[in-house]
Amino acid sequence: MTKWSWFKLVSVFVLFGVLVAVCIIEDRLVVSSLDEVNRYCYQIESAVEKNGGIVNGEVASLVDNLEYSWRENESKLCFLVNHKSVEELGVEIVRLKTYIDEEEPIEFYVSLDIIKHYVETYQHFMSANFHNIL
Amino acid sequence: MQNLSAKMLKKLEKTVFFANFTHNIFMLTIVVRAIIIYLVVLFLYRLMGKRQLGEMQPFELVLTLIIADLATIPMAEVSMPVLHGIIPLLTLVVLHYILTMLSKLSSNFSCFLSGKPVIVINPDGIDYKALKNLDITVDDVFEALRGCGYFKVEQVQYAVMETNGKMSVLSKSEYAPLTTGDMNIKTEKSVIPISIITEGKVNKENLKVAHMDEEKLANLLKKSGIQKVKDVLVMTIDKNGSVFFQKFGQKYQTLQVEPLGQVTE
Repeated sequence: MTKWSWFKLVSVFVLFGVLVAVCIIEDRLVVSSLDEVNRYCYQIESAVEKNGGIVNGEVASLVDNLEYSWRENESKLCFLVNHKSVEELGVEIVRLKTYIDEEEPIEFYVSLDIIKHYVETYQHFMSANFHNIL
Repeated sequence: MQNLSAKMLKKLEKTVFFANFTHNIFMLTIVVRAIIIYLVVLFLYRLMGKRQLGEMQPFELVLTLIIADLATIPMAEVSMPVLHGIIPLLTLVVLHYILTMLSKLSSNFSCFLSGKPVIVINPDGIDYKALKNLDITVDDVFEALRGCGYFKVEQVQYAVMETNGKMSVLSKSEYAPLTTGDMNIKTEKSVIPISIITEGKVNKENLKVAHMDEEKLANLLKKSGIQKVKDVLVMTIDKNGSVFFQKFGQKYQTLQVEPLGQVTE
């Protein structure tokens, strides 16, 4: 085998490795990011139930934490995932804050449900399952 | 202390200005993306080989068309990560490599992938069955023959449709071009001229191939009436000692010098 053939062989193996690595990294990153959002959503829900309303320090602080954590994860996700696919989540989180300020619990619950629904369905419409492949 | 804080403030202002400046240049993102994708595609094409468009096998042509399309999407679509364009390209190149390897290992697989050459003209004339299998018409065969320099079917002994879509023609012996071999004329072996100067620059690698050194080159330039290397547009020399050179803005000249040593070809 010539030097060029070796170079090609090694390059193809490296490219294959890159493909596998990207797939694994994407999976880990998406799963961990969405799990974190989901966890915050349930914490917010239980905080609302515990305090009997959305206007309290604990809920506001949890929503702030959710926003901060999503901002951090979103910037990482943007390397691998289409911005448009994940921007909805960010928009709904901002709405949560607005609904707390305006004291609109029904809209707050709707937004929270949208976020939870998004997190649950994201895996379905983005993962490599039979429906998506075909 | 006051000076220091003023300096820091100035530096901070500069940083903020640059950050705002880069935030506002949407086009810069597209430029950088275009450069990245261009370099990736260039590398991938080099990895795949140097075939011309007309010489491609069907699976290579498909690959080229897909790559061209895939590469353009993430260039302008900024919401899409560059990786979304690069990952399918890498996948296709890995797949192409695997298919190429398999077709090298198995002739049956190669046949399945690229097809096999088909004889469309034999000594009996045009094979219509073969044309039907290839989905080509008699006019297509005539066109391909004309492209090969044959305007009459009776001049052709065999015509083969190659897997890359080109036609190879073997003419009947009475229509074959006359060669020096047919006439039993002895000729000197063809030799490749080696370019030792191009556009005023000495090609040191080729100088070695021609078994020449700086001293020999200086002598050659002296014999050619050239004072400076930078005056030469091109200078070639072959194993038999035939020198071809042309100065910038002048007509070319030839020169015969002593034959070179064993030229590495």
